[in-house]
Amino acid sequence: MFDQLHTRRQFLTRSALIAAAPSVPLFLKQTAQAADSSKDTDRILVVIQLSGGNDGINTLVPYTDEGYVKHRDQLRIPTQQLIRINDQLGLHPAMRPAADLLDDGRLALVQGVGYPNPNRSHEVSMAIWQSGSCEPADHTSFGWLGRALDKDVRKATIKPHSFLLGDENPPLALRGRKSTSVALEYLSDLQLRPGAAGLDNALPNADNDLLAFTRRAMLSARATADVLDDVAKKTAPGQGLAYPATQLAGRLQSIAQLIKMELPTPVYYTIQSGYDTHAVQLPTQARLLGELAAGMKAFLDDLKQARLDDRVTMLCFSEFGRRVKENASLGTDHGTAGLVFVAGGNINAGLVGRPPALTDLVDDDLEVQIDFRQIYASLLRDWLGMDAAAVLGDSYEGLQLTK
Amino acid sequence: MPTPILSRYKPSQTAPWNLARVVHLHRRAGLAANWHEVQRDLREGPDLAVDRLLAGNSPAGESSAEFHSTADALSAAAVAANSIERLKASWIYRLLFTPDPLGERLTLMWHNHFATSQAKVQDVALMLRQNQAFRQFARAPFGEMLRHVAKDPALLIWLDADSNRQEHPNENLAREIMELFALAAGNYSERDIKEAARALTGWTVKNREFREDHRYHDGDAKTIFAQRGNWNGDDLLTLLLEHPATARRLAFRLCEMFLGEGVANDAVLDELADGMRQRHLDVGWGVETLLRSELFFSARNFGNRILSPVEFVIGVARSLEMVDPPPSSLLLAEWMARLGQDLFNPPNVFGWPGGRSWLTSRNLIGRANFAAAIVAGELHHPVRPFDPVSFARARGVTDADQQRSFYSELLLGRARPSEAGAAPRGAAPENFVTMILASPEAQLA
Repeated sequence: MFDQLHTRRQFLTRSALIAAAPSVPLFLKQTAQAADSSKDTDRILVVIQLSGGNDGINTLVPYTDEGYVKHRDQLRIPTQQLIRINDQLGLHPAMRPAADLLDDGRLALVQGVGYPNPNRSHEVSMAIWQSGSCEPADHTSFGWLGRALDKDVRKATIKPHSFLLGDENPPLALRGRKSTSVALEYLSDLQLRPGAAGLDNALPNADNDLLAFTRRAMLSARATADVLDDVAKKTAPGQGLAYPATQLAGRLQSIAQLIKMELPTPVYYTIQSGYDTHAVQLPTQARLLGELAAGMKAFLDDLKQARLDDRVTMLCFSEFGRRVKENASLGTDHGTAGLVFVAGGNINAGLVGRPPALTDLVDDDLEVQIDFRQIYASLLRDWLGMDAAAVLGDSYEGLQLTK
Repeated sequence: MPTPILSRYKPSQTAPWNLARVVHLHRRAGLAANWHEVQRDLREGPDLAVDRLLAGNSPAGESSAEFHSTADALSAAAVAANSIERLKASWIYRLLFTPDPLGERLTLMWHNHFATSQAKVQDVALMLRQNQAFRQFARAPFGEMLRHVAKDPALLIWLDADSNRQEHPNENLAREIMELFALAAGNYSERDIKEAARALTGWTVKNREFREDHRYHDGDAKTIFAQRGNWNGDDLLTLLLEHPATARRLAFRLCEMFLGEGVANDAVLDELADGMRQRHLDVGWGVETLLRSELFFSARNFGNRILSPVEFVIGVARSLEMVDPPPSSLLLAEWMARLGQDLFNPPNVFGWPGGRSWLTSRNLIGRANFAAAIVAGELHHPVRPFDPVSFARARGVTDADQQRSFYSELLLGRARPSEAGAAPRGAAPENFVTMILASPEAQLA
């Protein structure tokens, strides 16, 4: 059980150094206050961007739809290999961990997601999803999460407002006018190397206010580093919680560790690339979906054990789905509506929307049924308690994705 | 006539010209001094020391002509390779070797003031051009800087102002010019912004060059700051330069750079702003007035400004004379990013907020790790640990205890850090240097 000092808040309040000080430093009072008042608003959103355009049809397969046999010949996944969800739909065989999440109420599958006048350019469509707007003028400045965090009332105590786990720059989605995003590739950026100790700090009065602040900030930094070391040790193998050895899982593990440290940052983002399967789709998509499902499950199980999963919701999206009819290279080309995953310990699990009919196409493509901004609205308003209409420029009906 | 607040510093009993003041000057207005420079300035007095910084000709290991040609070659190579990492490294080369550390500090200030990020601009050549403009006009009357930078392609692309038409005037550029670059919030109305956006119509970037396209310009009458006229973009800049708030904004930026927390009050800002207003917003005059002032050299301006990551990292390398060979500029750039300041990549148009916000847990851990790494020699190729005993000996300090004072004086400007006696006796000298650099005091100047 997770009964040791595993949160920064606890560490700071119990630290002997703090107890020895004549009075509680102001910043700690503020942190403690923020921690208390943030109990109701300490919900977290974790976004996994599936770059390239994931083929929703072969992820959640409508195996009884005549169109599937008709349009997918080489790429058809035999019914008996699918993980059957109900008498119409089956999950890709590589997604067994996702099926488990579905079974125990921690996964929702939102079907037929897109936007009006689908755009099949990676760049444009991704900009639409990341900015939350179909207007080209909105595609180069700020993103939906950046704008949401700009308006977030908690922001005075939050630094940074979001983390991007990866080696990329924070994407448009996280860019705000004032809110900040930090890209972190390795958690070792938060660990003190051995030789890096400073001089002993519990000493005479500081010459000035700023020196006093700096000393306290260093105490806090060391507390953070110590907690991270502590948390890292707790996640040692042998606890039955090994993460798969993939890049995505590694990043999700880092996110889980950051969440366990109870940093006030509400948004985490990471990117899994490779879904643009124009040729020889089957092995590539199988590998990617396998990594995704296993990573998500390990992450949610890890947070569940830490009793934090009810505060975390995950969103996995792609900039579009793929064409219904396979191409001549054993792959598929850019399409329209796609599948979105929403997962977490506090969501309404199951299927959302109707399976797109493969025999009822629009220009040979899937019909879009759910505007992606409804998903954004649900997450912003219902999950994070933010002003969705102000961020998205319009009211979008929510989907009751979370409890 | 009342004595000006920014009266000139003259050494006295209560404010002697001593080691603390010399080191303070270099850590606050330069990029930290080496032992030789500290001793020279101690001997020669404040006027000559400040003269040297203002003029920008204190050599730091390489002759000036060689420095400039190497620096230019490195920047050009970065552009040719289309590599922003190499462009960062070329700037770091300048920071390590420049004879004009004050000029580079001001360049950093302007980079923050007109914050523009490569993450969006995606053009190494344009980012270099912008950087060169900041260096060229660093001390100039502000009008020269503003008129040049307002038409800088990188800036316009960054602010989505590269297409600015009569039918869709782009308010973004107008807003950022007013709020951030010239006036500061509260000094204009939303109407002013809308009218200013109209004045700016026709400004575009074509083929990475600024162009004024008259077809798209709204030439009708506009009212900006209660003045009516058929203003165009250049007129808008004139109106901004004439607006009293601009001098105040500049005074704010200079005080942010050279004065510690809480030192600049309204009286100081007003006096500095007034002086610049009377002198065509002459930034160089403002800098000189501050650096020669009694206020700048008073004890209440010591040790109360947090060093930015760039100032901290470069300061360590320069004061410990890591010039031959220098540490890897590419690695230094990575460390600066780890400490929270990624050159050419400010977080947003507000730049880096600076001050206390530099000291997040991650950045502080980074500073401590950096100190350990650079002293262990890991930023050099091949690895080259810093040898504190030989270094001190070569400067005439042989006794171990005196060596501790030596490093304390060189790096912090005082004989012992206030954590007096806290370093365990017998601590290895290189550990002692790391400990100083990782201490709270070393983060302040």
